[in-house]
Amino acid sequence: MDRSDSLLKADRGIIEQLRQGGTDRRRSEEQLFSRFSYFIREGITKHALSEDDAFNAYSDTILVAIENLINAGFEGRASLKTYLYQIFHNKCVDLIRKKTTNKNSVNRSESISDRLLLLSDSSRSVLQKLIDKADWNLLKEKLGSLEDKCRQLLLFWGDNYSDKEIAAMLYYKTADVVKTSRLRCLEKMRRIYNIT
Amino acid sequence: MDTPEYIDHYFKTQPLPEEARLFGEKMESDPVFAGEVAFYLSVFQASREQAEENKKQRFWEIYRKDRDSRNTNRVIKLAYYLATAAVIAGIVFGLYIFISPAPKKQLADQYILKNLQTLGVEMSSRNDSLQNGLRLYNEGKTAESLQQFEKIIQSDTSNFTAKKYAGIVALRLKEYDKASAYFEQLETYTNLYANPALLYQALTLMERNHSGDEAKAKQLLQKVVQDGLDGKETAQAWLKKW
Repeated sequence: MDRSDSLLKADRGIIEQLRQGGTDRRRSEEQLFSRFSYFIREGITKHALSEDDAFNAYSDTILVAIENLINAGFEGRASLKTYLYQIFHNKCVDLIRKKTTNKNSVNRSESISDRLLLLSDSSRSVLQKLIDKADWNLLKEKLGSLEDKCRQLLLFWGDNYSDKEIAAMLYYKTADVVKTSRLRCLEKMRRIYNIT
Repeated sequence: MDTPEYIDHYFKTQPLPEEARLFGEKMESDPVFAGEVAFYLSVFQASREQAEENKKQRFWEIYRKDRDSRNTNRVIKLAYYLATAAVIAGIVFGLYIFISPAPKKQLADQYILKNLQTLGVEMSSRNDSLQNGLRLYNEGKTAESLQQFEKIIQSDTSNFTAKKYAGIVALRLKEYDKASAYFEQLETYTNLYANPALLYQALTLMERNHSGDEAKAKQLLQKVVQDGLDGKETAQAWLKKW
């Protein structure tokens, strides 16, 4: 069977919009969330999760899926529903396991590591130690205290929007202006973070 | 290219292996540079987490609205179903009342209440035993009344009036077999101008309401109608509701 055959028209539409980026991406993220939100009820009934936990498992599923769909990590071998359900099921199992073993800590090094793949082990180790020292709550607090445009810019950057997309959404003239502004915002962050 | 731009360029593009090697070496040899890289990645990660939290908040709003609207629809649907069920139940009940046959015992009770609650006493100074029995009955002394009528029957076995009253009183006392026996005896008086024996027998069966009594009562009522016997109108009315 052709891979694209297993994808419904609606699924293909959502994936295309996600990959188009910009405001289309935001809309299609919400469409994707709504399309399979009945999984939350399944999390409650089949995995005996609370509504909050089932919602979190499903939201995390969508966040992972968005990233994979944008970065072509999803190959379309299965339907979008099957693909999402597999992730969701694993998230539910993870949640149950974390609850029973009481391991709720966030492993940030893991999520950053894909950016460090090309570095040597020793370089990665140096970096990892420095990153682990960061005060995440303070970083987020300072991020929240930035002026609105700067904060928006960094949030879009963190959400993997390209400078070109950010330029369109936040009304900058060019992607280069976004880049310059982003680096300035980073500098502001450094100043207010270090003052503390 | 200054340091922040260099770091940004490295992470924003796909670096060549040689570029990655140089970048790594600089990190290991220059702690300040390593600190800047760590800060860059930490802010990126914090922004990413904050963006995800915001996105989750957006998702929660969508989910909450959808859930609330589903719940509201569910309540509306439930109310609709309940209202429909209530209307249907009302219609069914109404049809049942309108179409279904009236309970036979209820018909018998109504008849007794209307016709046999009190029995006619002659307004005379005559104090014969029959009148005495009727007075006792009307005073609610039914057991004494029955004794009185049975005494009369003992002394005059052909006294059909006493047998009629004895049957009625026995019926009121719920002594159905005795009542039936008196009405069967009364039935034998075929030359009477008015003899409600068959109607009363049917009435007794309707009151007793044992298995098969209803069918027997119906047969008796049909006979009353066919033969034009005393109580024909009542029998006809009952048969219509049968």
